[in-house]
Amino acid sequence: MGIDGLIILDNAGRSIIQSGFRSTTPAYPLLQIDAVNTALAAASRPTDVDPVIQVQHPSNSDIPSACCHVACGDLRILCPISGNVDPLVGFAFLQTFVDILQEYFGGVSLAIVKDNFDVVYQLLEETLDSVGHPLTTSHNALRDIVLPPSLFSKLLNAATANLAAIGGGTPIQGPPAGPFSSQIPWRKAGVKYASNEMYIDVNENLQAIVNKQGVPLTSSAYGKIEVACRLSGTPDCTLNFTNPQVMTDCSFHPCVRLQRWSRDKHMSFIPPDGHFVLAEYRYTPNTNSNSAITRFANPSSTAPSPKEVVPIPFAIKAKFEVEETTGTNGATGRAASFPGTLSATVMLMLTTRPIENVFVELNLGESAHAIKCVASRESGGLGRGLSALESGHAGSASASWSFDSRKKVLRWEIPNVPPSTHWSLQGSFAASTTPPRPSHALQVRFEIQSHTFSALKVDQLKITGEGYKPYKGVRGRSTGNVEWRW
Amino acid sequence: MAQAGQDAKFFTRGKIEEFRADLHAADAKDKKFVKRKTVLKKIVANITMGNDMSPLFTDVVQSLGTPLLEIKKMVYLFLVSYGRSAKPEQINMVIPFFLQDVNDRNPLIRALAIRTMSYIPIPVVTDALTESLRHCLRDRDPYVRKTAAICVAKLYAADPRRAEKGGFVEMLRDLMLDANATVVANAVAALSEIGDRPDGVIFKLNLTAANKLLSALDESSEWGQIYIMDSLLRFVPERHSDAEIMAERIVVQLQHANSAVVLTTIKILLYLMNYMENRRLIEYLCKKMGPPLVALLSSGPEVQYVALRNILLIIQRRPAVLKNDVKVFFCKYNDPIYVKLAKLEIMYRLARAENCREVLAELQEYASEVDVDFVRKAVRSIGRLAIKVEPGADGCIQTLLELIEAGLAYVVQEAVIVIKDIFRRYPGKYEGIIPKLCEHLDSLDEPESKAAIVWIIGQFADRIDNADDLLEVLVDTFLEESVEVQLALLTATVKLFIYKSKSEKAKELVHKILKWATEEVDNPDLRDRGFMYWRMLAINPTLAGEIVLAEKPPITTDSDRMDRGALDQLLLHTGTLGSIYHKNPETFIRNAAGRALTDSPALNPNSRAVLVHLPRPQIPGPPGLAPTDSLIPGEDAAPAPPLPPRRNPAPQDSHTDDDDVGDDSDNDAETAQNRNDDPYSNLDSAFSTYLADEPKPMGAGAHRGRNDDDLLF
Repeated sequence: MGIDGLIILDNAGRSIIQSGFRSTTPAYPLLQIDAVNTALAAASRPTDVDPVIQVQHPSNSDIPSACCHVACGDLRILCPISGNVDPLVGFAFLQTFVDILQEYFGGVSLAIVKDNFDVVYQLLEETLDSVGHPLTTSHNALRDIVLPPSLFSKLLNAATANLAAIGGGTPIQGPPAGPFSSQIPWRKAGVKYASNEMYIDVNENLQAIVNKQGVPLTSSAYGKIEVACRLSGTPDCTLNFTNPQVMTDCSFHPCVRLQRWSRDKHMSFIPPDGHFVLAEYRYTPNTNSNSAITRFANPSSTAPSPKEVVPIPFAIKAKFEVEETTGTNGATGRAASFPGTLSATVMLMLTTRPIENVFVELNLGESAHAIKCVASRESGGLGRGLSALESGHAGSASASWSFDSRKKVLRWEIPNVPPSTHWSLQGSFAASTTPPRPSHALQVRFEIQSHTFSALKVDQLKITGEGYKPYKGVRGRSTGNVEWRW
Repeated sequence: MAQAGQDAKFFTRGKIEEFRADLHAADAKDKKFVKRKTVLKKIVANITMGNDMSPLFTDVVQSLGTPLLEIKKMVYLFLVSYGRSAKPEQINMVIPFFLQDVNDRNPLIRALAIRTMSYIPIPVVTDALTESLRHCLRDRDPYVRKTAAICVAKLYAADPRRAEKGGFVEMLRDLMLDANATVVANAVAALSEIGDRPDGVIFKLNLTAANKLLSALDESSEWGQIYIMDSLLRFVPERHSDAEIMAERIVVQLQHANSAVVLTTIKILLYLMNYMENRRLIEYLCKKMGPPLVALLSSGPEVQYVALRNILLIIQRRPAVLKNDVKVFFCKYNDPIYVKLAKLEIMYRLARAENCREVLAELQEYASEVDVDFVRKAVRSIGRLAIKVEPGADGCIQTLLELIEAGLAYVVQEAVIVIKDIFRRYPGKYEGIIPKLCEHLDSLDEPESKAAIVWIIGQFADRIDNADDLLEVLVDTFLEESVEVQLALLTATVKLFIYKSKSEKAKELVHKILKWATEEVDNPDLRDRGFMYWRMLAINPTLAGEIVLAEKPPITTDSDRMDRGALDQLLLHTGTLGSIYHKNPETFIRNAAGRALTDSPALNPNSRAVLVHLPRPQIPGPPGLAPTDSLIPGEDAAPAPPLPPRRNPAPQDSHTDDDDVGDDSDNDAETAQNRNDDPYSNLDSAFSTYLADEPKPMGAGAHRGRNDDDLLF
């Protein structure tokens, strides 16, 4: 397996830190960086660059290789691979490394990496061997070998960056246990906490495409069970659900005993210390065994196969018209402008909970300008956009809109949609030189608190093997990403 | 440790002399070595930035005596960077420190020492390493053992004979039975690395060893699992049951959270299936593989891309895997273009009569998007869909006509190109739409589409009333056209003349164009073809007509499919670069170890029939020779081809219906097919093995027609 190394680039495409590249020529990392920068410069959108770039050595064709790369905040991390390697190993390693940085520093950014370069360098050294074998990547084991930055700087970082990764409780240093003294690779020995807690978050993400008739073409919810574990000693946990059948296609953290799951659908595990993803699953409703399906009014009764479709909690009606008024004028006539109107209405189908942070985005296409819109709630709650980019965020409860003139994206934001309300956006715009070609799809993002599409319910969390009684908490949250065509 | 924030200033360029002075100053009264640590940190920062710090070698190495792990680490980082290029006397200075650290009480320091030594492939260091490594491989601490295992591979790279003589390979084999799973995994990784070297000791597994490795699987880290499972490719099952039991043991790994583990598991399952007999188990495994593949699509776009390229390969060999999941491949507007294109290709592969309508509606949606490249491929896919799925052809034609009506130039061009192929696939069915195509003659300005419409006019000159007028206009610019269009014009005019030999205009046209082709044009292909037509027409016009208008072989989507043997071989590389580029690694990576299925009593007969033996002869094969040429629905590859059969292999010439959308996916099929001259021979075998080997898809019986032998019906 030849992961050749890791290179961290800043947003200008310069290398800040890179691993040793000891089994290659010194020119090699430079070539990789160059290839990525060239590809990025050539692409119209940075997201359109192939994630695996074939890199050819200019003078020596004996060194074929490819470069996997991902953007990560204001950084871009490259993972050159050579030989016939699985690019997924490259990407999985990149992801792991980003996770490690996240755990160590509470965030990943140019400033953080620069401030802690010595720790990052040591981490590189410990996680990746010179010929590309990933070594120790379990965060719990790494902490023994590479000391995290001091508590002080950690708190500083925590204040500025992501809070979730570090959390409140810091383990009390137990008796100094040797590295790898633990028999369990993902959990280090001798963890001690003053207060023992375990929080379980069930997050579900709806991915759906709805066609012009308002019928969901595809719609499925991907769930993730995230756990924040602050337990002393070596606890053995058993988590069971009242309705485990809603989880299909599960994948688990290595700590979960797979045999036990396949036998009686109990998740039995010795948890790693700290934050981790216990399991991921897909939710596809079954007609017979589901209560959630009745909670949504299905937007269209003609859905082709309701069996496989997670109902969308809202409905949108959109209309879009373009007229050509100024028209062609004489032989030289370049059509001067193409005014158009648009209107869209969102209505909530969910009757129990509000949807929050609804973002509706529409790409209006090149040369769109002179956008004027009114975002309103059908009964009261008026929000009005004033000018491009600075209009949004009017009131906390009212809707607003904005237009990103660089990306040509019209964004409509509704912070809170209470049950059974209607919201609408009316507006006009113009386009010069060419008829406007807006995308035929509205991208909708939303969140629902304390709700899951699958209605997955934790029955019991049993913790054995230790004497204490921990505090336990379970919480659900839904997000969605729906493409609504019109 | 210095405060965060201050560290950034270490990035300022440091001066060697200053560091040296600082290091010496640190010798005196340095409580807890704080000063020394700070200087070393600055030095390491400079190394990271690529500044040459090697002049400090002697000074830095002195710090190795400091009994502090943090300092040792930084010195070792320094050694790793400059040890290789150090002078002999400098290295000699370090050796005692190495030997001392190898026996340190702290296992971290022991491991650090041997790891650093293995990074410095200089004879003196290798000597020292050889001695210490032997102890470290038997160290009581697993961290040291696992580090030592990897070091063996490096020692082997530096000096293979010494490593073999020293018995290190045997010691690695012993480590495969270690109690600690990480040690086992690293031993396997080291053995694999050695085995992949052209001069390395071959690494093979027997049943007992393979089973032992499997029992370490559950406790390994994800990387360890990847190593271990990857090594199972070195196990050749001798009995069906061996393969079946092993598959049942690893199938739970499909539930792993790490995508690379999932894909490796799939690779091994696909490999083991070649050695299985139990049809129901194979079906069960295929069913199990689908969901994890689909789940990969909820990851980031990069992982999606890799997954999609692999799915494309897998569904060609095992269509049962994602048979009913075409919907998950529907593109979203915001998907990156590379994901969209990969999804488009898979949608086409998964299209069948049952889901044809959904797929078509989706493709139609894409054809209205903004991205030109994507729109063209979507339109092309509609055409391919029509050719592949007969019951859906009417709908496809209808959609294409609607798109032509809309009148966007690039859409029209693309539509004309695919409609030409549809005419050949369904002769006598859709010619009624020709007038509509001719209305848009003016908007066709690209060679490929222009050649397509010229072909259509020529081929159906007897049904197009004003064919002579149309051609006359087109011929006007003959001398400025590209070769592709010129060739098409030449043939079309000859066809027109044969259909309407009485027409004065046709006679005049054909005369004009033959004269141009033979006198004014430099391209030898064009000139040859001109002469050939001229002589044929001069000697026996009736016979010429029979030849030029001979019945054409029906076109199919055969060329979409890879050769089965090549596919089997590529699938052994599932999840590797080879599967992304759809090429065998030997072809683009020198020294890459080729992989091929190994024959054994358990190998199922269908896989054996297409077995590829290593080393596979490399037939470079000029592209013009690729037999797929004769599958090209372009010109008359009929019994007596009137055209020069080896046409200019310019890229724009190979207008098969799949070239662009499939990226390079078909190149491999071409090289694979080069081995025999008859382009159809292996298609038949591929088809028959498919029927014998696969769970028969629903209604397959009704679909065994000659034109319908795509893998997915």
